[in-house]
Amino acid sequence: MAARVLQQCVRSLARPSLRLSSGHLAVRAAAAPLATIHRPLSFAADSRRTRWLGQSRIPSVGVLCRQYGDLPPLTLETIKERVMYVLKLYDKINPEKLQTSSHFMKDLGLDSLDQVEIIMAMEDEFGFEIPDAEAEKLMSPEEIVQYIADKKDVYE
Amino acid sequence: MANPLRGEVIRLYKNLLYLGREYPQGSAYFRERLKSAFMKNKDVTDPEKIQKLVARGDFVIKELEALYFLRKYRAMKKRYYEPEQ
Repeated sequence: MAARVLQQCVRSLARPSLRLSSGHLAVRAAAAPLATIHRPLSFAADSRRTRWLGQSRIPSVGVLCRQYGDLPPLTLETIKERVMYVLKLYDKINPEKLQTSSHFMKDLGLDSLDQVEIIMAMEDEFGFEIPDAEAEKLMSPEEIVQYIADKKDVYE
Repeated sequence: MANPLRGEVIRLYKNLLYLGREYPQGSAYFRERLKSAFMKNKDVTDPEKIQKLVARGDFVIKELEALYFLRKYRAMKKRYYEPEQ
């Protein structure tokens, strides 16, 4: 963080603007004690630091904007897309034969162990655990989609 | 099909698969070996025998855990101590 402040200073120094370079001096004065203060203790300094960042930010630098990670909301369509994508990447399934309605064992020639692997891949993809008792019943892509939609409260 | 031990076997397979992700020779290698080990015994129907095999699988889980623990320990030791001559 402190490094970033310094970088900011250097950048503003490089600009031949009087206002910014006078700001730079103040920034350096604020940043110097920060480097020496033990980090976890400097909560107040922390807020000061961020305030400084906000003030000395050059409008063209958009990097410091906060970006919150969030997934787009799930719909039946996106769930289906993701399920099919995972299945296509699974090495024992022939992507050409794969249909949403195809049965893993009857149509795609997999066995129950492969089916366990598929369910595990789905758990990874959607980030929740599928209990064994229910995982056993999921035998085709559309059933998986339906199950995930039920669990995630996705309707039409 | 409706073997009461089926769930047990699947649970074992799943656990082993999870553990195999960090296997030193790669997860693909582990998966192949695991699959063939399970397929080798697919015709076993005697519940007692299945119990024994599952117990063996649990033992393998313990071994794998020990392996990872040891690997971690060795890595730490390498980083923090002088190599012994």
